[in-house]
Amino acid sequence: MANSEHYVIKMKDIVKTFPGVRALNHVDFELRKGEIRSVVGKNGAGKSTLMNVLTGIYQPDNGEIFVNGKMIKPMTTEKARKLGIAYVHQHSQLVPALSIAENIFIGDLPKNDLGIVNWNKVHDEAILQLKELGLNIDVSRKVENLSVAEKQILEIAKALFANAHTIILDEATAPLPKEDVKMLFGFVKRMSEQGVAFIYISHYLVEVFDICNTVTILRDGEKVGDFNTCDLDQQELIHLISGEKVERFFREKVELSTETVLEFRNITKPGAYEFINFSLKKGEIVGLTGLEGSGKAKLIRGLFGLEPFAESGEVYLENELFYIKDSEKAINQGIAYLPRDRHGLGIIGARPVSENITLSILRKLVNHIGFLILKKEKIHVEDFVDKLGIKTPSSSQLVQFLSGGNQQKVVFAKLASTEPKVLLLNEPTQGVDVQAKVEIIKIVDQLSRQGVGVIIVSEEIRELLDICDRIVVMFKGKISREFDTKNKNTTAETVLMAIEGEA
Amino acid sequence: MKKRKIIITILDNLIWPLLLITIISFNFISDRFFTPFNLTNILIHSAVLGIMTVGQSFTLITGNFDLSSESTLAITALIGAWLILPSGQPNFGGDIFLPVWLAILVLLILGIVAGWINGFLITKLKMNNFIVTLAMQIVLRGFMLVISEGNTMAGLPDSYKFLGKNSLGPVPVSVLTMLIVFIIAHIIMQYTQFGRNLYAVGGNPSAALAGGVNPDKYTRYVYLISGLLAAISGWMLAGRTGVVVENMGAGMIFEIQAAAVIGGISLQGGRGTMIGAFGGVLLLSVIDSGLSLMRVSSFWIEIFSGLIILLATVIDAQKSKILSDN
Repeated sequence: MANSEHYVIKMKDIVKTFPGVRALNHVDFELRKGEIRSVVGKNGAGKSTLMNVLTGIYQPDNGEIFVNGKMIKPMTTEKARKLGIAYVHQHSQLVPALSIAENIFIGDLPKNDLGIVNWNKVHDEAILQLKELGLNIDVSRKVENLSVAEKQILEIAKALFANAHTIILDEATAPLPKEDVKMLFGFVKRMSEQGVAFIYISHYLVEVFDICNTVTILRDGEKVGDFNTCDLDQQELIHLISGEKVERFFREKVELSTETVLEFRNITKPGAYEFINFSLKKGEIVGLTGLEGSGKAKLIRGLFGLEPFAESGEVYLENELFYIKDSEKAINQGIAYLPRDRHGLGIIGARPVSENITLSILRKLVNHIGFLILKKEKIHVEDFVDKLGIKTPSSSQLVQFLSGGNQQKVVFAKLASTEPKVLLLNEPTQGVDVQAKVEIIKIVDQLSRQGVGVIIVSEEIRELLDICDRIVVMFKGKISREFDTKNKNTTAETVLMAIEGEA
Repeated sequence: MKKRKIIITILDNLIWPLLLITIISFNFISDRFFTPFNLTNILIHSAVLGIMTVGQSFTLITGNFDLSSESTLAITALIGAWLILPSGQPNFGGDIFLPVWLAILVLLILGIVAGWINGFLITKLKMNNFIVTLAMQIVLRGFMLVISEGNTMAGLPDSYKFLGKNSLGPVPVSVLTMLIVFIIAHIIMQYTQFGRNLYAVGGNPSAALAGGVNPDKYTRYVYLISGLLAAISGWMLAGRTGVVVENMGAGMIFEIQAAAVIGGISLQGGRGTMIGAFGGVLLLSVIDSGLSLMRVSSFWIEIFSGLIILLATVIDAQKSKILSDN
């Protein structure tokens, strides 16, 4: 079906201008019946704008849209829906407190002659309809108990019940657990074989290769080109997205210090992690990986004091027993932490760059009666703005008004300001475009060379292999394997197998 | 980008042109407005509102609010008087005859305790701040009625009225106190770690926590401050009017919030300055005085107050919209 010559969507010469920005510049876009086409590009490349034009949310300044060969002008959201184009957003449009069956029939529940809802029919019809799509689900489950992937499948199913032939899947902000990805992609592939076309928008390039037949690359509002995924490798794709030769960053191997900066001895929290013995050297970068729920994130969040830590075992920081209290103590003792969802947890958008950078070190910037020495603060901030290359008109600019990449750097400036001994990074490159990823990795590398011990919690194995000295794998709450990245036998495949618990 | 920044700056400082226009307009309308006598009067009448607004601003900046402060003001004023005065008409006191200084100490502590309970319920028991402070408002008002039995307490000694009625030379003590409270609050917010942490907590509690600033701890502090300042206000208001009436401060919360928000303190937390809040207090006091001079019915003044709250909220909503657009 993927080779069908029948175009369900054709967009020709689309131009869309916003005040001061040309968001789309003469872009063509085509989608065949049963095709799974990915649209990729950096933030601001025009992906969302293109989809919003297709679904009638924005009106283009120029260009034509054809659905099943018929020109539609103007396109409206209502027409798009009626013509069979469905937009499955990253934020679920389902009602969490209702069951799967209720969500399917919402607004149009089968009723008996008295106008009372016929719940048996709701239940049976829902099962029947889902079965036709090859889904065997308990339809009485509440939507709030479903995983992200299950919700997306349900949304696609709902769209299909409404006779959609083209489904736009917007990226999930966080990568889905492996099991879920398999389930979602399996479903998408089955549906495509039955003739449904998908547009998949993603930052996770691995997923693009996993699921899509074809890829459309956008850059700065222009189309770079259409490709078959089998003709590209990931490095080429990154190159095409960024437009520059993005060099993959490899950490130059360093002679590791013999001094241990952090040590876990028999750290145990029943139900989360058990008998964790682990040590981190000065200047060492260790990748901590494992499946969702393997305990890796809980371990570093607990160490930083964000959730209850181990019930038994000891932590040594520079060979001294370290008691966990709260994040304030952790920072003051030399442990810094980068939260997972940086946009939500890392920055204070309504405050200036300067206040964000110095948040954790104000106690070092006060005089003997407790007043802030603003001059000292300014020097510190300007120093870090310079060092990390933060692009901002001034240090009093609100962080909200910076670009995503620069917001990232502000967070790193805050962390580095605390002069940590140990830096804990929770998914540092998640949801970040390729260019910014390399910059972040470089900053981490620099910090390690100043003697900071770094633990990176991540599932991006390739990145871990590039940057880490060592990779520690957790499986069901225990450290199951360790890999020396200098060892020739350490490959993405062997690490992946350990993560899945197969080795 | 640039444009949004300019709009934010304008909205943040909108209070000053508003205040200027209001003063100029009243000056045209009434020749009794811009006189030393009336201006002093405005300041005297703004003192209680001013101190209450500082307390409220502390809570607003951390992303909270304190609906109970108007009742804290009332109950502390009442307890202070009750501890001093004899029972029976016209004093309706408690026959305790505490020394004035001790009664004042007790009422200040009482304010702090009320704030502590608010903070405890909100941060330790994770209760909703709207319900907690609203319930506290009702409970404290209820206690006040129980103790006073609805009577008006009168006959407060002059030493008790010092804060509300006396002057140091030409300067009323109440006005001076308000200015000092504003100056201290301004210094705290702009030049201390404590103030910065309050902004961080209100701007993004999760980011504050990840940065080593515990939002719960600072939330408890601001309710303590709000309670203490409400107690000072209660003492001051009782001194100025010389009596404690059962509906003292009732409904004042709206005026307080309006003053803070139109002065640029955001309801979303994390934004606004004490100087702006001071401007908001002046604007409300000026309008109140100007409309009275024009002999506008007090019912109309109510309507104006309501409209100012709406205006303040519209401006605040615009700001947060601009700040959240990306």
